[in-house]
Amino acid sequence: MAPDTTRKIAGLVFGAGFGLVLAAARLHEYATIHAMLSLEEIDVFLLMGAAIGTSLPLLLVLERARARTLVGGPLALSRSRIQRHHVVGGALFGVGWAVSGTCPAPALVMLASGAGLAAATVAGLFVGLGLRDAQTSRTTGTAPTAGDGEQREVVAAAR
Amino acid sequence: MIAAVLPDRLPWWIAGPALGLLVVGFFLVVNQPLGATGAYVETARTVRRVPGAVTWRAWYFVGIALGGLAGVSLQGIGVDPRAGYEVLTGSGSGEFGLSLPVAAVVVFVGAVVMGYGARMAGGCTSGHGICGTAQRSPASWAAMMSFMATAVATTAVINAIG
Repeated sequence: MAPDTTRKIAGLVFGAGFGLVLAAARLHEYATIHAMLSLEEIDVFLLMGAAIGTSLPLLLVLERARARTLVGGPLALSRSRIQRHHVVGGALFGVGWAVSGTCPAPALVMLASGAGLAAATVAGLFVGLGLRDAQTSRTTGTAPTAGDGEQREVVAAAR
Repeated sequence: MIAAVLPDRLPWWIAGPALGLLVVGFFLVVNQPLGATGAYVETARTVRRVPGAVTWRAWYFVGIALGGLAGVSLQGIGVDPRAGYEVLTGSGSGEFGLSLPVAAVVVFVGAVVMGYGARMAGGCTSGHGICGTAQRSPASWAAMMSFMATAVATTAVINAIG
């Protein structure tokens, strides 16, 4: 199978798995996120902790073992030093997350589950991301760089 | 009627590790983090036919929605137009009783701020909060602590107003 086909199928399959887990844990409901951030229930914090607690040690072992990925070459984890934009951007993200009661992935699940208000959330996300991109390309003349959580240039360049 | 295959709410000790395994599996196949912000960015670029757009991220974007639809169906809920928004639109205690147009403006403005912040920080709850922290990235741990702190503080303000 061509690597690009594998990437598309992996994207669809892992995306679907991600969406399924989010829906099954009710993370797509405004009430769940509001209760979490009101510190009324700790389930979502524990869920995130368990996700990190599962993936961090496994990735550590795989990195030490110099694992090769199926279509992306040797496993390459990225670790950036802390910069101002990580903290300021994160702070803004948190405010928006609290107000809109969902974050980018669960917003798609909300929309798929028929919640009409989620259309406003998804539209707003595209506008906000676009505003930042427009600002970055105006001030620096280049495309914005990705963080450690997003699409990375390393692999994109190696395709 | 759709039969309920999944429980009403999957407990955190199943959903959390399942999410963690998806993150590791995704790294092992494509060597990329399972972050959602990048999916929005690349989907927008794919739709606008920007040269160099990462098309498979659009497949991932669609996959999240399809998986979500499967999830609510397997829970026996099916498509539910409320989806937990009664906190905003309900009129009970602890609910804000907003009209639908006002609620739409509120979540839209929140999402613009959220999108702007996610792009500035280089990730969101999934990108920095799970994938970045799991890669032991100091920047991701800092971003996560930052958004957790402001999200809890903002929610406290919202609850004080409401």
